[in-house]
Amino acid sequence: MPAQNNANTVALQLEKVRDKVPLLYERDDVLLAMIQQRGDVEKVSSRNMRLPIQVNPGGKAGSYNVDGGDLGRGSGSSYDVAQVTPIFFRFAVEITKLVEYATNAREKAIENAAKREVANGLKQFRAFLDKLIQTAGNGVLGTINSISGTTFTMAVPSGAALVYVGQTIQVYDSTLTTNRGTANVTAADPISTSQTITVDAVPAGTVATDVIVHDGLTGAQPVSLFGVKYHQNNATTGTWLNLNRATYPVQLATPRVNAGNAALTPGNVRLALNKVRKSLGINQVGKLVAYTSVEQEHAWENLGITISQVIKEGGGGRSNDLDLLFTGQKTMSGVPIKSSINADQTRIDFLDLSHWGRAVMKDIDFFDVGGQTVFPIYGASGGLASAYIFYFDTGFQVFSDSPRSGAFLDALARPSGY
Amino acid sequence: MIHVLRETHNTPAYVERALRLTGGTNRFGEPNFRAVWGWNRLTWIGGRWEDRDAAGNLVREVVELRQVPKYVPFDCWHIERWCPPELYGSPQDWYARTVECEAGRTIPALGPYPHRGEYEHCLTLAGVRGEFVQLTPTIAEHVARLIQASRVLTAPRRRQALDRRDARQERDFDALAYEVLDDAVPAFHGLPWIRVPSPRP
Repeated sequence: MPAQNNANTVALQLEKVRDKVPLLYERDDVLLAMIQQRGDVEKVSSRNMRLPIQVNPGGKAGSYNVDGGDLGRGSGSSYDVAQVTPIFFRFAVEITKLVEYATNAREKAIENAAKREVANGLKQFRAFLDKLIQTAGNGVLGTINSISGTTFTMAVPSGAALVYVGQTIQVYDSTLTTNRGTANVTAADPISTSQTITVDAVPAGTVATDVIVHDGLTGAQPVSLFGVKYHQNNATTGTWLNLNRATYPVQLATPRVNAGNAALTPGNVRLALNKVRKSLGINQVGKLVAYTSVEQEHAWENLGITISQVIKEGGGGRSNDLDLLFTGQKTMSGVPIKSSINADQTRIDFLDLSHWGRAVMKDIDFFDVGGQTVFPIYGASGGLASAYIFYFDTGFQVFSDSPRSGAFLDALARPSGY
Repeated sequence: MIHVLRETHNTPAYVERALRLTGGTNRFGEPNFRAVWGWNRLTWIGGRWEDRDAAGNLVREVVELRQVPKYVPFDCWHIERWCPPELYGSPQDWYARTVECEAGRTIPALGPYPHRGEYEHCLTLAGVRGEFVQLTPTIAEHVARLIQASRVLTAPRRRQALDRRDARQERDFDALAYEVLDDAVPAFHGLPWIRVPSPRP
């Protein structure tokens, strides 16, 4: 009988936690989860998912002369079809034998290493996808403002917030036509005002105004996850879910308020909310969520018209009894606030998530080939390397069936200290 | 004459008094905090209105200023705080930012400039599942005190609190993850565990 090899053993350990993977993936504190929790996730095949949308109402309304007058002719609603194609994402976790040996205490050693890497890997994969969902559907994670050695100073709003240390990135020119090559992030500072990213080696030809995109994208005008800035967009050119925005310049445009680089005010928030109310009805803001960055949540708190998190925490980090008399939910003009460290620092999106969903071809799971989930690494000689690899993968796309059922406020100033 | 009926409630005098005593008054002698019933609190909204029928079909479009309830839900109490006119910039800024041009007409989307300031939404009184909560003096006073206490906090402290919240969420996830993954593995990894007492000296 051949000796049991390590990869097979680890595969058995991963099988034990396999059914726990979706549970940990469905974490409820990020935008990705908010969309997932909508419930009616659409399972799709390799063909495009089709979303019929009413682009123009039908019927002819008007007064008429009841004393023998002509009532005129009628008309019907017109529809078009938006289309969604899932994109596949993977997250590779590689463990060396040293890690295994370092945790080697009786038979449980592999389980410990696998457990830790499953937890960390899922957290990081979720964070990666949540960063992508902030983008405009082209995979752009940031724009280079200037270059000094191997350090990029990144342009706000995204700054350095959408990358993580160890991530492989690609540099494209500003028109997303020329792929200049790949690099690995060795340091990222999304906290300080400098907003820098350091890479191991700058791809040849990289210049300021170039953009960085995630690994795996190829060709000109790459397509990635359709994020907030893709669906919440007032552009009248380009495409939206295979529809030409120019054909439906009003129907596909999300109402926008340009803050003009000024600080957040209640007036700006009301302007944005009122645009939704005017187009959809005065009570339609009840379904909205104010999705924003921690910076703008802080700016709203600084206006002093909401109960701050400090008060909500109380002495022991818990709400006090009287807080139970009301929700205690922090709101923006009555709309619940949901903030994220990954969200655009200069923007507030009012989202009606009942119109958002996911077209899923493959749920999150281990990448599996004939039942095997762990694969050996080979060394340069062709022999085995002292490491093994496993992957998480998922295939989905995010859609909205009503881009007008929301609004956004952009070009906001960041509060001082950020 | 057609009367449009809606459920309205005036704020009880004892609530007004409690909020005035706790929150004080502004430069115009008006209370800094007040409680309003959703259907009572109207505001100007100007622009192109799209009126729809119950099925969501567009019935008409009209460009006008309308007075509509400022907050949703309409059928509950909201606590408001007075904001000074300076917060809204100068009248020129106000109109520059809020005037919309629709069908050849210019119309201020937020109505006229708030020369006497404006009351803005602090919170909605509702239960944890959104159920109705009646306005009592105790609740009103408590809310006003919370807001007042919140106002004296410095910006750095607010930021630290937000950072702590994010760090706490990370810790909570890590704890959950290890708990969940531990569940997948039997206690002591399926190995028998027998305690062997050490010999007495």
